[in-house]
Amino acid sequence: MDAPLQTFTYNGQTVTARRGESLAAALTAAGIRTFRTTAKGAERGIFCGMGVCQDCLVEVDGKPNQRACMTKVNGPLVVSQEAHARPLPPAEANPSPRQAPAVERPDVLIIGAGPAGIAAAIEARRAGASVIVADERAKAGGQYYKQLDVKGSDVAPPDPQHAKGAQLIAEAVALGVEFRHDITIWGAFEGRQYAGSGPSGAVRFEPRAAIIATGAYERPWPVPGWTLPGVMTTGAAQTLWRTARRIPGKRVLIAGNGPLNLQLAAELVSGGCEVVAIAEAAASPSILEAGSLAQMLLSAPDLIRDGLAYQKVARKAGVGMHYKTVVRKIEQEGQALRVTLGPAVAKAGTASEETNYTVDAVCLGYGFEPANELLRGMGVDHAFDPVRRQLVTIRDDGGRTSLPGVYAAGDCTGLGGAKAALAEGAIVGAAAAADLGFGVDPLHLAASRRNLARHRRFQKALWSLYKFGGFDSGLIDSETLICRCEEVKFGDIEDALATDMRMIGAVKRQTRVGMGRCQGRYCGPVLDTLLAGRFGYERHDLSGFAPRVPVRPVAIADLAAEMPS
Amino acid sequence: MTRTGEVWRSEIAIVGGGILGSVLAGFLAEAGRQVTLIDSGETGGSTANAGSLHVQMQSRFMRLYPEHVPGMERQLPLYPRAVRFWREFERELGADFDLKVNGGLMVAESPDQLEFLKRKADRERELGLSVDILDRTDLDRLAPYLGPAVIGAEICHDEGKLNPLKCNRAIRDWLQRLGVTLLEGVRALSLEQNGAAYSGFTLHFPDGERLHAEKLVLAAGAGTGALAATLGLNLPTRAEPLHMNITEATAPMIGHLVQHADRMITLKQFSTGQIVIGGGWPADLRGPRAHPTVRLDSLTANTTLALHIAPSIAPLRVIRTWAGVNTSVDGKGVLGPSSRVPGLYYAVPGDAGYTLGPLSARLVADMMLNGDAGEDLDDYSPRRFTA
Repeated sequence: MDAPLQTFTYNGQTVTARRGESLAAALTAAGIRTFRTTAKGAERGIFCGMGVCQDCLVEVDGKPNQRACMTKVNGPLVVSQEAHARPLPPAEANPSPRQAPAVERPDVLIIGAGPAGIAAAIEARRAGASVIVADERAKAGGQYYKQLDVKGSDVAPPDPQHAKGAQLIAEAVALGVEFRHDITIWGAFEGRQYAGSGPSGAVRFEPRAAIIATGAYERPWPVPGWTLPGVMTTGAAQTLWRTARRIPGKRVLIAGNGPLNLQLAAELVSGGCEVVAIAEAAASPSILEAGSLAQMLLSAPDLIRDGLAYQKVARKAGVGMHYKTVVRKIEQEGQALRVTLGPAVAKAGTASEETNYTVDAVCLGYGFEPANELLRGMGVDHAFDPVRRQLVTIRDDGGRTSLPGVYAAGDCTGLGGAKAALAEGAIVGAAAAADLGFGVDPLHLAASRRNLARHRRFQKALWSLYKFGGFDSGLIDSETLICRCEEVKFGDIEDALATDMRMIGAVKRQTRVGMGRCQGRYCGPVLDTLLAGRFGYERHDLSGFAPRVPVRPVAIADLAAEMPS
Repeated sequence: MTRTGEVWRSEIAIVGGGILGSVLAGFLAEAGRQVTLIDSGETGGSTANAGSLHVQMQSRFMRLYPEHVPGMERQLPLYPRAVRFWREFERELGADFDLKVNGGLMVAESPDQLEFLKRKADRERELGLSVDILDRTDLDRLAPYLGPAVIGAEICHDEGKLNPLKCNRAIRDWLQRLGVTLLEGVRALSLEQNGAAYSGFTLHFPDGERLHAEKLVLAAGAGTGALAATLGLNLPTRAEPLHMNITEATAPMIGHLVQHADRMITLKQFSTGQIVIGGGWPADLRGPRAHPTVRLDSLTANTTLALHIAPSIAPLRVIRTWAGVNTSVDGKGVLGPSSRVPGLYYAVPGDAGYTLGPLSARLVADMMLNGDAGEDLDDYSPRRFTA
């Protein structure tokens, strides 16, 4: 058995990590919060914690711009803080000749090993299809079922959510589903060719059918101070806890919309955090919501039971609950962060309604954006859903998209929650297999459909309970960054719009908004919403930034293949 | 632009708000003309150009279209002038285009390729370009980022680069200051000549609206041929969709515009520190609007070549690729009055249209304002086509 601890150096100092945890977790535990500095000299640390935002970049063993949240400590690494545009190390003296990438041709390729992906894999494989699941992480599970990376006597054991994930993964493996870990699928071409990169460079898949199950990432909350180190998404803090049993700081404030924030509060309390408050954007549940609650209790009693347990833990720990309250701004105060909470809707004279807390870390969980970039890049049709305020993938009840051979399941098609993703994945996996001529058990499929309907009812009731209008553009301050990567302020956007610019692409080229490493994931929906409101249109397929390959930054070494003739 | 009844009116209408059309609109407005600039996207310059200022003959075009070489040679003297004109234009606008004339390298990996470059350099020198042949020792000093496979290069001292995002922004501001009417996001569907005698043109838009203009300029790049066809004219513009890649930033390392004697590659670095990799690898035109779309084989080959030429960029990440459309006619630009229709002008630059854009705009503006540009531009006349 591996030793539970592993040392590495950070800026020349020795740091002791739990073997297998991410650099982000180990550095956080060592009290390090600033991972890189930007072009303008601003400090950045962990934000998304899931490989999307590109703010936790560090240099690892001479390789620039490595995501600390996606790099595991499995050996004695040499790590340093990343500065903007550092010189590159010298080229490898005798590089091995480049080979054509290996092409794998399974019946079904599934992209994303979260609940939807694993469930789809199990059903497609059970029907007899050969199935490969490619995932950019080192372990399957996605966000909801992410597995514990560390061991040790001081490490709290896996909980039932971990265990359920482990059981699903084991079931898939036992059926013969092949997992390809650490593989980033960065481009899909014409629905048939899927290009990726991994530890040994370029990879290609040419499946008969593909199921896209790439999940979601957290919605931005672009208020003053949202880029400060120590301000991270609820998901990032949860990843620290659920994968590495690390906490983001001693005193923590959690703000956002939805039940995940409550779960995080309970988890952090169990990890020894003082959670000073939860700021929930929606109103406090009242008797008026009795219908929603009853519906939820009927459709998913286990989730309600979990929710009540989280609430109990939070109440016992003395966590202050603020409803109809959002984070208005965050300021650096010495080593700490001063958070200002206020009403969710901007209106005059609200200063008297503001509350302040001084904390070590702030977690922002204002809902999710679907990670639909592969689908949109291929040209799969989407439509805007005004209720969820996001694009949803147009599909039939088998998950078939507008492109033949391309299926989609789970949160990347529009948010539905992990349990719905699980049920939906099973249906879509079966549909893909059936379309390829494999036999599917109709009774089993009918059960999955009932399951999905039940979880959709739950989710609908949940949304009704946590109803909230989204980011109020009245909270925007012209000095606040909309684009974290290129450090573009809302004021820069206003200046561009003042020159009669209307097209999002034109605003992008004028201001550089969305041109950075996160590829517009955070600023894109905010800007699209802003322009839609300003010019009176509803967001649609083509109103946001044009999707581009690669859907993640990819090293040239990992894009390159054999020399062209 | 004014409106009379159902029809918008403008003295001059320019279709195509790319680099040539935009700068031309500015020059005409500076001379007091009333100008409307129409583009299906945004005006102010190319939405896809990556900012190479080409001067030496591009080996890519010589290989692809050997029949164009005489035309390319005839147009060659225009290129160093065009780069100088860019600099003057930057000064005139009081803008910062991130324009650098650090020279351009065309690298060779074999004695054959070096021989080709030597012959090309001799010819280019005769035609007035400032070029030299460099050996590996020179390159170790001037361009240490080049990989071991490179044995020599041609350097063209007049070549450079700029950042089109900065240019486009400054140009659009300039057009707005000059009072040019910008019709953005509007696609001109067809053109109509008002009567046999010279009485202007009517442009038809999708919503049924019309624009009447006394003079009409077609500056729509690869779309020019289709528009000219609606007037019964024939100009063989060819769309050449191709793609580019851009990396995250690194410290300054590549000062030159880098190309290859025998392979499709351009490499350069912006002042942002980002490296732009292009070179004309083909893209597809997809969907109902023929949207340029990146191809996997092109992307792979392009980045593989870039790595081969500059091996230390291996760990640098590509953060975005995009595809745009280059316009090809016969190796030369099509500039000036139609030989068939009075009041109609063409403004289509030759290969490397962004480089040639502002200078070509000046020449067309002078032809429109003064009847001639003060020099013999017969080579670029639309007369060589039924246009």
